[in-house]
Amino acid sequence: MAGSGSAHLRPPGQAVLRAEDLVVEFPAGRGRSVRAVSGVSFDLLPGETLGIVGESGCGKSTTARALMQLPPPLSGSVRLDGVELTRLKGEALRRTRRRLQMIFQDPISSLNPRRRVRDIVAEGPRVWGVGGDRVDEILEAVGLDPDTAATRRPHEFSGGQCQRISIARALVLEPEVVICDEPVSALDVSVQAQILGLLEDLKERYRLTLVFIAHDLAVVKNVSDRILVMYLGKTCELAPGSELVERPAHPYTRALLASIPRSGLGLPPADQLISGEPPSPVTPPSGCRFRTRCPKAAPRCAQEEPEMRSLGGDRWVACHYPEVETA
Amino acid sequence: MRRRLGKGFWIASGWIGLVLAAAVLADLLPLPGYDETLVGPPQAGPSLAHPFGTDGLGRDVFSRVVYGARVSLGVGIGAVLLGLLIGAPLGLLAGYRGKATDAVIMAVNDIALAFPALVFALAVVAFAGANLRNVLIVLGVLGVPAWTRLVRGTTMAFAGREFVLAARALGVRDRRILWREIVPNVSVPAASYAFLGMAVVIVAEGSLAFLGLSVQAPTPTWGGLINEGRTIMENAPHLVLAPALVMFLTVLSFNVVGDRLRALTDVRQSGLEHVRRAAAQPLPTAPHTPGGQLLQVADLRTHFVTERGVVKAVDGVSFTLERGRTLAVVGESGSGKSMLIRSILDLLPGAGVVRGGKVYLDGDDLTGFSPKEMRQVLGTRLAAVFQDPMTALNPVRTIGTQVAEPLRVHLGLSGKRARAHAAVLLASVGIPEPERVLRRYPHQLSGGMRQRVTIAMALSCGPDVLFADEPTTALDVTVQDQVLRLIHRQRQERNMATVLVSHDLAVVAEWADEVIVMYAGKVVERGPAADLFERTRMPYTEALLQSVPRLTDPAHHRLRVITGRPPDLAALPSGCAFHPRCPYARERCVTEAPPLFQETREHLYACWYPRGTEAAVGDPVPVALGESGPADPVPVALGESGPAALGEPAAGPVPAGTDRNGSEPGGPEHNGAGSAGPDLKRPELAGPEGADNRGR
Amino acid sequence: MILHRLVRLLVVLLVVTFLSFALLALLPGDPTTQILGVSATEEARAQLRQELGLDDPLFVRYAAWLGALFTGDLGTSYITSVPVTEALVERLPVTIELLIAAEIVAIGLAVPIGVAAARRAGSTTDQALTALCFGLLSTPVFVLGVLLILVFAVKWQVLPATGWTPISLDLGWNITSVLLPAITLGCGQLAVYARLLRADMIATLQEDYITLARARGLSPRRILWRHALRPSAISLITAIGLNLGALVGGTVIIETLFGLPGVGRLIVDSIFSRDYLTVQGGVVLISVGYVLVNFAVDLVYAAVDPRIRHA
Repeated sequence: MAGSGSAHLRPPGQAVLRAEDLVVEFPAGRGRSVRAVSGVSFDLLPGETLGIVGESGCGKSTTARALMQLPPPLSGSVRLDGVELTRLKGEALRRTRRRLQMIFQDPISSLNPRRRVRDIVAEGPRVWGVGGDRVDEILEAVGLDPDTAATRRPHEFSGGQCQRISIARALVLEPEVVICDEPVSALDVSVQAQILGLLEDLKERYRLTLVFIAHDLAVVKNVSDRILVMYLGKTCELAPGSELVERPAHPYTRALLASIPRSGLGLPPADQLISGEPPSPVTPPSGCRFRTRCPKAAPRCAQEEPEMRSLGGDRWVACHYPEVETA
Repeated sequence: MRRRLGKGFWIASGWIGLVLAAAVLADLLPLPGYDETLVGPPQAGPSLAHPFGTDGLGRDVFSRVVYGARVSLGVGIGAVLLGLLIGAPLGLLAGYRGKATDAVIMAVNDIALAFPALVFALAVVAFAGANLRNVLIVLGVLGVPAWTRLVRGTTMAFAGREFVLAARALGVRDRRILWREIVPNVSVPAASYAFLGMAVVIVAEGSLAFLGLSVQAPTPTWGGLINEGRTIMENAPHLVLAPALVMFLTVLSFNVVGDRLRALTDVRQSGLEHVRRAAAQPLPTAPHTPGGQLLQVADLRTHFVTERGVVKAVDGVSFTLERGRTLAVVGESGSGKSMLIRSILDLLPGAGVVRGGKVYLDGDDLTGFSPKEMRQVLGTRLAAVFQDPMTALNPVRTIGTQVAEPLRVHLGLSGKRARAHAAVLLASVGIPEPERVLRRYPHQLSGGMRQRVTIAMALSCGPDVLFADEPTTALDVTVQDQVLRLIHRQRQERNMATVLVSHDLAVVAEWADEVIVMYAGKVVERGPAADLFERTRMPYTEALLQSVPRLTDPAHHRLRVITGRPPDLAALPSGCAFHPRCPYARERCVTEAPPLFQETREHLYACWYPRGTEAAVGDPVPVALGESGPADPVPVALGESGPAALGEPAAGPVPAGTDRNGSEPGGPEHNGAGSAGPDLKRPELAGPEGADNRGR
Repeated sequence: MILHRLVRLLVVLLVVTFLSFALLALLPGDPTTQILGVSATEEARAQLRQELGLDDPLFVRYAAWLGALFTGDLGTSYITSVPVTEALVERLPVTIELLIAAEIVAIGLAVPIGVAAARRAGSTTDQALTALCFGLLSTPVFVLGVLLILVFAVKWQVLPATGWTPISLDLGWNITSVLLPAITLGCGQLAVYARLLRADMIATLQEDYITLARARGLSPRRILWRHALRPSAISLITAIGLNLGALVGGTVIIETLFGLPGVGRLIVDSIFSRDYLTVQGGVVLISVGYVLVNFAVDLVYAAVDPRIRHA
């Protein structure tokens, strides 16, 4: 999946958010650096939900932060409504922030323990001087009682409720695109269902475009229109959820699916189990980054990095030998 | 707030206030002048007129101590403020900006810390002149590096938190982020450090004064008084003892106040103090017959005595397990599933815990074992694997030492043989190059490898039962699958039993033979996996199953929502603990806790209106039906040799026609004995999916 | 990695010596007055200043001084006419012995106290030990010293209040003379160490790997000493290094209080006699020693914690 390339992007005019060839690096000590994200591209149409799925270290959260320009990517482009964000600096960048918001994984860490809930949610309106009257409405929309909740501090709430506060903070500025970085992975299943349902409700109500990042394929599939599979900083496959699950083309997608316990789910038994763990991103394999664990790896995979290419319809894969015959 | 700070804090604050007031108001107090000689007989002991006695020149020691407080507290407060004013902005800047700014500030700071402060202060004061201003400045400046370090560390910890990132994402300017998000969080540790710092400065000033290098005579200082006194302390010990005592109490008070403030932010410290030590009243155990199973748990209870009340973490859990079987324990966080494992293995924290019930291993009652006997069972017959492989291995010992240890301790192998055996063990759990891994430290292995090592350690002495507490939750899906397969294979090869704790129903459905569903410390449903998933009876199990997203669901499929949140274990709802969240709850659920009923011999559930039976309530019922409710299903018989269990022995009802002590075991044919309430209507309410999903 | 640290060490040493030199050189107090007396003529002073190189720029004087330092020459006291190096070398063994003895007292008592308190956190034992540590922590060294003298030397007369017998003369008397000062000096540190170890040990004992060690049927004693102590000792080791500064500061007071002929007392005496060069030499010696010991502590640190060794 050493996939890069941007063949799968749609015409620039259509997309509300368009990321092209994103590269993010971190220092890894001793003068070396890790390419956490390496040539990732995707786009979102208005009202669409794009799911990004992958294991830890695949760069999905780093991608989310690169979209937010926190910090900006090393190279590549992020366009919000045609405006190039990566070239903006200081005040100009700050002014675009209202339209692009983010929800974080850890509901506790993402709220300041010393501030009251109303202050947390009203911070955005206070800074921008707009939407101050919407604080109560938003609190109510996320399922919190403004009268009792607003004057309390985060530690008085459960994890699920803290995540609701986070969502309220992100939505009060009426953003166009909301990036959800593992918003339910710290929650219990019953609470997870509540938050997923809430996100769907809010998406309809406020006509949001969502990027939904998670490691759990079933969760991602539940909320997404299209799913992007990532591995070691690269894209593997992009397809509508049901197609991805029913006809996975990339060996890594197949392995992911095979690893999910299937009892009672009516899926075929595991035929694509992979061994080992992802290699270190400091020294990624040449060619296709998945080849070291890929059951179908061939010499070509070590030399040539596959690019995203069409499998017909809205299915895209970065693999030299995709599983198309099963389609 | 008052309670958390404790009595000591207020007493100490009181003393500081008293000394401070005395120092400030010294001129207004009816005291003899501090340098007025012969106000009484020289070297006289404490008396009513001179509470601390008089010194060699007949001066009033009490007055001298009070005036000495001016210097001590003045320097203490002044120097700390000076250090704070210089150090805190530097620390904030270094911690928030990071990178080069941080590197430069901290490099200078480290060098500044490399000076032995007191020696340096001595030299500077000696040559610059010993007066209040110089002492204050020197001690203040010497405190700067410590302030910078503290503020920088705290700032950094908070600057990395997601709420700061969220503020930046909102477009908040850096200055506002510093003031609104970071400074309030840094202020508590800083306040704590200010008090500890004052204690340090007061001691340092005292030391300088003791050496004669602080404020010069005739102004009295505490250190100076002690120094003067010690030449004649044989005859007049009060000259030393009085100022020493006042100084000790003042320094102690500053330390106490600082320490209590610190405890406010230090979770691990305050967490400890909340456990109240109560005399442990042993909990009663319901009557039961020990069977011949490999593992039998009967009416196990684990209660924590806390300030908020008794937390019933595990409340009457019973099950049996045979060799070669896997039992899964499912539940959300706080359901007591992990505590159940710890309770069985007797690994509970010592203070404030009350345990009841019995655990039998091959018929031996483990709860009657002495700690020493228990240690012979643990590791050899019972073994455990925990959730997070990152914290499951000792970071400072090699893998070899850790894997070989149980072999040496329990099997008495020599070091060399234990190591050889350890290598074999590692190979058996699929670790490549075991010899090399033996020499490694945990941080050099990946998460999956570490979990394999912990499994190897658990298996080292050939246990009969392996307890795996969320063994794969911290791992990636592809690795998760590998580890679960490994546990499964080892279970088969070694013919042991496995207890698998998990919140992941898919994992459970795949790997378990039998399942226990826990809610609020109790078993709410239990049975063979296939049966339980296919013929779910308890509404909680049903809701849990329907709230998990499945790959086969279409996109944007609305999941079943369980309203509300798991109950507070210290204040459980009345009756059935699930009733406030149950769409089918009726009056009886509020008043009476359901016992475990039998669906089949193995399949048990705790519900008055089980799903999928005639007794079930079709849809949420808004009004209680009272007397006309459905007839009772048959509760499980006690004392029966089968998988006897009971949910709530005291409250368990005795349905008509059934002997409580169970001569007649409930069978499938008894299920839903009688019929459903005749007047059951389908109410017009929306189904559970449409229920209000709002958190409280 | 080692090279990187060595370079850093050199830089720190340069800065430390420069600051020690500069601060004292810039402070008021004219050495010519000390040598020639207050009645000396302005010309005589100027000539002496030139001879001593006091009119040169600060950096030139520092370079010259540093060069001499490498040959072990810290100058000759204007007051006593004794070479500073000689005076320091003569006094150093006393201070080092005092420091070592105090650390032995502190660490030797702090480890059992910290472990005992952590083992049953919240118990009566723990509360008593914690209170004891708090008391010790709040007792200034000179107060404790005076009290101990009052009890052991004045009231019971079992230990000498002042005086020093070198090891070379008589081991028994040497121990007697170092005992009270070492206890006094060690007690304050003891409290710091024990509290730190207790807090870390409590945290360690809550770690999964300790629970799992219990689950493997290992004895509490083995778990405490073999599994929990080493990971808990890491901040203790740092503290021992960092607290050396406080300890050295303490020696100044202890040596003055107990009349021990160490470096600390030499510095205090020299301050009162305004023996500027000796004070400077003493401060440099202590600062450099402190930096070097902390460097060594860093290396020990890596030995205890493999995560640092491999970082």
